[in-house]
Amino acid sequence: MERRREALVGLVVMLGVAVGVVGTIWLQGGLRRDMRELRAASQNVGQLVAGAAVKFRGVSVGHVDAVNVAPDGEAVLVHLSVEPDLVLPADAAVLLAPESMFGDWQAEILSRADFELFSFLDYPEEGVLPAAALPDFSRLTATADQIARRLTTISERFEVAFTEETALNLKNAIDNIGAVSDGLSEIITQQAARFEDLSEGVNASAAELGAAARQARLSFERVDSIIANTQVEGMLGDAGVTMSNLRELTESMNASLGDLRSAAQRADTTFARLDELLAAVESGDGSLGRLLGDPTLAEGAAEAVQELRALLVDIQENPRRYLSFSIF
Amino acid sequence: MTNWLLGAFAFVGNRTVSGLQGMGRAWGLFLGATASIRNVDVWLPHLLPQMARVGVASVPIALFIATFTGIVMSLQASYTLTGAIPVYFVGTLVGKTMILELGPVLTALTLAGRVGANISAELGTMRVTEQVDALETLAYDPLAYLVVPRVFAAVFMFPIVVLLAIGIGIASGWFTALQLLDMSSPEFVKGLRLFFEPWDVWFAVIKSVSFGAVVTGVGCYFGLQTERGAEGVGRSATRTVVVASMLILCLDAFWATVLL
Repeated sequence: MERRREALVGLVVMLGVAVGVVGTIWLQGGLRRDMRELRAASQNVGQLVAGAAVKFRGVSVGHVDAVNVAPDGEAVLVHLSVEPDLVLPADAAVLLAPESMFGDWQAEILSRADFELFSFLDYPEEGVLPAAALPDFSRLTATADQIARRLTTISERFEVAFTEETALNLKNAIDNIGAVSDGLSEIITQQAARFEDLSEGVNASAAELGAAARQARLSFERVDSIIANTQVEGMLGDAGVTMSNLRELTESMNASLGDLRSAAQRADTTFARLDELLAAVESGDGSLGRLLGDPTLAEGAAEAVQELRALLVDIQENPRRYLSFSIF
Repeated sequence: MTNWLLGAFAFVGNRTVSGLQGMGRAWGLFLGATASIRNVDVWLPHLLPQMARVGVASVPIALFIATFTGIVMSLQASYTLTGAIPVYFVGTLVGKTMILELGPVLTALTLAGRVGANISAELGTMRVTEQVDALETLAYDPLAYLVVPRVFAAVFMFPIVVLLAIGIGIASGWFTALQLLDMSSPEFVKGLRLFFEPWDVWFAVIKSVSFGAVVTGVGCYFGLQTERGAEGVGRSATRTVVVASMLILCLDAFWATVLL
């Protein structure tokens, strides 16, 4: 009886201890293998706590061991335990984010290149993965609250601006838009008809272009046949002779141009001298200058003409005064 | 008017003196029992039978209550958690509630009725039939003989019974979730593990130890204070259940404040 009682007590005690120990281990996620330790640094960690899940591509690969503020106080170091055979991306980073809407957070290992928008913290220590934390729901709701307030303000202003008159104007505007759309529809219909005409013209043009192309092809074929013919060589020879004649003509013209150029130089010299002479005449230098510049000469000449006229008149009237005829 | 006031003051004074006397006697019992621990030869042979009575014999009723507690918790959690709340939170609620609160407290309240009243009635009968006096006459230490093995048995066995109750409660809640709530095992286990901390189990164990000490200590106290024959025995048993239950709830709040 005593032994049976002892066995019963022992059984119950063992059962109770087994339930406590095994249950605790099982609820913690089972016996853990030798895990690989990682560290990540972030500006803050939100609501991440030790024991949170570590995920890679959505699969749970470990847990958060500890969360500590870095010695310099500039970052938070997150200690992670992950499966030893886990192959990390070359640019591995850790994103701390809510796992659900109820305050449980997770650390997700990912490729930094895939999430360039997040500001991962580069901690100045080798082997520490960069990490970033998403804003938690309270911050998001606070921001949403701000947005809601602004929307309220906008709607209030809209109510102020939206009077009966505004509504009437809007109604008129809508009517106008209807009329405009009808006009546009008509224009589009017309344009469509014109476009059809244009398309037909284009088709005709394309046909003509096709014919022209065929004609051009024939012409090119003829040119090819002409080029292939030996007469072309003779024509090219004649052209060469013509070109050499032209070259000789050009040379002789160049020589003539040289003569012309020396004649022009001589003419320039002559004109220069003539200019000097005219300048001297205008300035009254020399006999011609004085002659041109002195009015007494002209007056004398006029008087001489008058006297000559008087003389001629006198001669006509009295020829014997001046003429005498004798035969012997 | 004056007589009424005088009567009121006298009632309060009488209750105060009675309360202080009771506290003094309880403190004396505690000091005497602590001093009696040294009489290992007296209490150790009685420890195993008491462990069987207090612990093993209490397992069926504790597991019965835990089973239905788990079922009700699972159903009520699914009824409460609707809309945007994921269904796996049923597992979280069942696990957390069973480990932290319902497992230890309901088990302790149950054992307060079963074990506390049993001890009180047993010791009260011994008191009114002067068996306790006979022990003293035979130079036995009645505290080492009667109190210490019972308290130690409860302190050892209460956590065991509570752990079994927690396990059965969670298992029944799990089974209910699978059979009645169209949940899958991975969902329930996910919720169960979501906020689990090993400290929760230690918290339950610490509370259970204190509950065991209180239930058996109160039972021993009222049993040894029993007077006036069979009527007194019944009154002691009733008082034991009431006071032990109140102390269990007070201790529950105390530990929640101190340890969480």
